[in-house]
Amino acid sequence: MFYRLSGTYHTSYEADRKLWKIPTDRWLVIALLILALLAPLYVSPLYLGSYVLPWVIWSAAALSLTLLMGLAGQLHFGFAAVMAIGAYASIHLVRAGVPFELALLLSGLISAVIGAVFGGAALRVKGLYLVMATLAMQYLIDWVVVNVPAISGGAHATLRTPAVSFLFFPVESLAARYWLALGWAVLLTVFFMNVKRTSFGRALVAIRDKDFAAAVIGVDPFKTKLMAFFTSSFMGGVTGAILAFCFYRAVTPEQFGFNVSIQLVAMVLVGGLGSVIGSWLGAGFVLLAPIFLTNLVSGLAAAGWVPVSQNFLSHLPLMIYGAMIIGFLLLEPLGLAKIYDNIRKYFLVWPFRHARS
Amino acid sequence: MTFLRKLALTTALVAGLSAPVAAEDVKFGLLQDFTAVYTFVTGQYNQGQQDYLALANAEGTLGEGNTVTAIVRDTGNQPQRGIEAYNRAKEEGAVLFDFLSTPVSAAILDQAQADKNVVITPAHGRGDASDGTVFPYVFPMFATYWAQAANLIEHMKNNGGLEGKKIAIVHIDSPFGREPGPILTALAEQEKFEFQAFPYASPGNEQSAAWSEVRRYRPDYVLIWGAGGGQAVSVKTAIQNGIRPEQIHSVIWLAETDAANVGPAMKGVKRFEATAAGTEHPIIQRIQEKVIAPGKGSGDAANVGTSYYNLGVATMAVAVEAARLGMEGGQPLTGESLKAGFEKIAGYDAEGLMPPVTYTAEDHQGGGAGRVSEWDGEKWVPVSDWHAAYPDLIRSVIEKSAAEYKAGH
Repeated sequence: MFYRLSGTYHTSYEADRKLWKIPTDRWLVIALLILALLAPLYVSPLYLGSYVLPWVIWSAAALSLTLLMGLAGQLHFGFAAVMAIGAYASIHLVRAGVPFELALLLSGLISAVIGAVFGGAALRVKGLYLVMATLAMQYLIDWVVVNVPAISGGAHATLRTPAVSFLFFPVESLAARYWLALGWAVLLTVFFMNVKRTSFGRALVAIRDKDFAAAVIGVDPFKTKLMAFFTSSFMGGVTGAILAFCFYRAVTPEQFGFNVSIQLVAMVLVGGLGSVIGSWLGAGFVLLAPIFLTNLVSGLAAAGWVPVSQNFLSHLPLMIYGAMIIGFLLLEPLGLAKIYDNIRKYFLVWPFRHARS
Repeated sequence: MTFLRKLALTTALVAGLSAPVAAEDVKFGLLQDFTAVYTFVTGQYNQGQQDYLALANAEGTLGEGNTVTAIVRDTGNQPQRGIEAYNRAKEEGAVLFDFLSTPVSAAILDQAQADKNVVITPAHGRGDASDGTVFPYVFPMFATYWAQAANLIEHMKNNGGLEGKKIAIVHIDSPFGREPGPILTALAEQEKFEFQAFPYASPGNEQSAAWSEVRRYRPDYVLIWGAGGGQAVSVKTAIQNGIRPEQIHSVIWLAETDAANVGPAMKGVKRFEATAAGTEHPIIQRIQEKVIAPGKGSGDAANVGTSYYNLGVATMAVAVEAARLGMEGGQPLTGESLKAGFEKIAGYDAEGLMPPVTYTAEDHQGGGAGRVSEWDGEKWVPVSDWHAAYPDLIRSVIEKSAAEYKAGH
């Protein structure tokens, strides 16, 4: 009823390969896109600047990471370092006079090359050992940034982003920054959905499932793994630059620390490995749930309902947040994306009970 | 609070009192890190801040009917959460912000300047923000890390001399740990001593490698520059490596908890302090009497009078004084009038809790005075008087760095 299937026939290969085969899905996506585009008109600056904008950027970051972790099955616990390379590269390039558009691409390339070099470890090790190798990348990049004043920006290690314009539009007002970030996140989303349908995407999945079996059927693990790291790091690098220019506008090493890498992994896992909608939901959950909970608990405390010390009050949201993560993963180990999928399937055949697949 | 305000106003009107100036509720945003990195200080510090604001309300420091309210939120030291908390508190009407976190302060500095809201960075944050011409809305308030290093060096000079001596600076490997570097370089030439830096990896739970190097260097004095759990480890490892406690001089982040963690060996260790510790001060006494005794304290009463608690009290004492001066003449308090209020403060010492501070449009550090105190086994005992060390040198470093910041924009 909600997802009308009758009368929808796929009579050509092209129609059968559409991204959204069911009209309702298509309309939903278009409606969401329009809502997202018009957000600066109806969302207050507080919510646009502190909730929607970071959510969009972190979703792009989660998409970049899930290409590597979800599709290609290569664990990466140093992804914040990849974003740091992109952020610092873009700022220094713009300061050196490179146009912003070009600096974005170049910073992505620099991240991609460095990311692929560290990804080289994946050619020899996998699983937990690869986690260790990528952790080493995180700490190495952190150390280099902190210890080379030319990169971090002098005594106080804060670099402000210069004023830039993107395709002749100044990236200054909140709305402009939001639209640029949204554009990048939508581009990554469309890319991700399409990459799954290419031979490269299928090669990544083959590598994830068993790399030597993939080699037997003719997929080159050497090339594919490096390509996976290269592509993912490129996306992550540009996202880091977008994060610096559209959101923080002043970059410090702590913004790309180890805890941010763990947050990114949490986004990907809580959302659902290798899923597009999972990346959006996971980023939203990991980023915004602590903020909502903190405000909720503070509100209750102000009303006198939680008579506890400030210290306990501050930790209470973290306890609820932790319980929520465990709760969601117990309820559905495949993440928020699977929960969404279950709901959609329920309505797909509603009022009947069972959907195929 | 709005409800209370309305109620108070209505009552006043019903009672037939003429209220020439509407009572105002000043809001301060204390958006700090209670759960991640700065936990070693935030609990006691914020408790001191909230208790002082309660005292100010009880005593009517801001004038008839005016109150001051703290908006307290945890940011977990994450810049994106700090930005959210800042924007929300701004909508709620806060005019002064204290983040007590270097990354969060850094991410908000530009926005706060554009919004004309005052950000205080007491005893942390960028030293060059002391230059009020470049950072009009940022107030480091007390001695910056540079002034602290100079104060400690001057104490060494007055107690044993510096010429030909060797100083080891053992610091956490972060931008904060590197802060005293330029001051030491400048003073080494002037006072003819030599120094060497020994960094240890963050967070500093393990420092043996650094300290065995220090032992080989055979320093006359040792400066320790870290924060949190790493500080107690520094003192313990130093003593294990044959450094006498009397040789150890610390940045402001060394307090009663660290002394408890080190134990009896701590006796003789010195540190910089920007505010006095202990409960024998008029303001702290009145907090005991009017806030703690009626059960209105915001935390464990045992914390009252600790170093970080008193530091928190001092920050709010200065901020409330600035708000009072900013509201003189009856105009409502905005970020701009609060800044003006700060710059009217001259020789304010919170009834002896801290050295007298004077802010001007150029100097937002307030002179940069402080003193050195020594742990006597039970408490911190001052061993020097309140004073600013090498103020000209500090000022030139501040101006140089601020000019670089301005040029990099």
